[in-house]
Amino acid sequence: MTLIAVVEDNADNRLLLHALLGGDYDIVEYENGTDALAGLHTARPDVVLLDISLPGMDGNEILDHIRADEDLRSLPVIALTAHAMMGDREKYLAAGFDDYVTKPIVDETILMEAIERGLERRR
Amino acid sequence: MHADFPETDPEALERLRRFGGDKLLGDMVVLFLEALPRRLASARAGLGRGECHAVEHELHALKSSAAQLGALRMHRLSQEGELLAKAGTLDGLARILNDLDAEEPRVREWLTAACTRESA
Repeated sequence: MTLIAVVEDNADNRLLLHALLGGDYDIVEYENGTDALAGLHTARPDVVLLDISLPGMDGNEILDHIRADEDLRSLPVIALTAHAMMGDREKYLAAGFDDYVTKPIVDETILMEAIERGLERRR
Repeated sequence: MHADFPETDPEALERLRRFGGDKLLGDMVVLFLEALPRRLASARAGLGRGECHAVEHELHALKSSAAQLGALRMHRLSQEGELLAKAGTLDGLARILNDLDAEEPRVREWLTAACTRESA
């Protein structure tokens, strides 16, 4: 089964993502960047949903580590963030995220379609 | 709706029920209300230390969760505070944190009542 890694410090958001995705995908969760970077090597997910505002390393720093890691750099990484001001989408795509989905999640199909695009890149 | 109730979005609760039924809604409300006083205290402590980044982080998280749960006024206050903290402007943050403190019991009452109605 396809494995989605969720990097998110908010427990309520993790619960929501599990409810939305758990029927279609396996999910592995990390609450911070240190755990995520260590775990991604072992878990080998197909797509990463990465929050931006995290304690310690933020999502941008985690992405930099992923892209600098030979084993991880090809992972599709989707920014899942409440940073939704004008220009944020372009900013995160320019930073190297493969896709960008905003919180709150109002239309779940936007998230699902972003994941499917990520899986297409992976194939 | 009572005039004192916060500005809220009942559709957000309907949406969560559609995503995962009453259980998801109830579990998310529990997690949110558990974290809420901790987040506000942490933001206030950050303000006391003059650490804008700590305030920004807590208010950003609060903004996100409040929006998902339809607590619109709490969302707007958190967003306003987040932007001030991001800009390094401590002035005004104390007032916003006071407003958020005042908002907390109203949001708690609204969400608790919504969950009670769901399980009735």
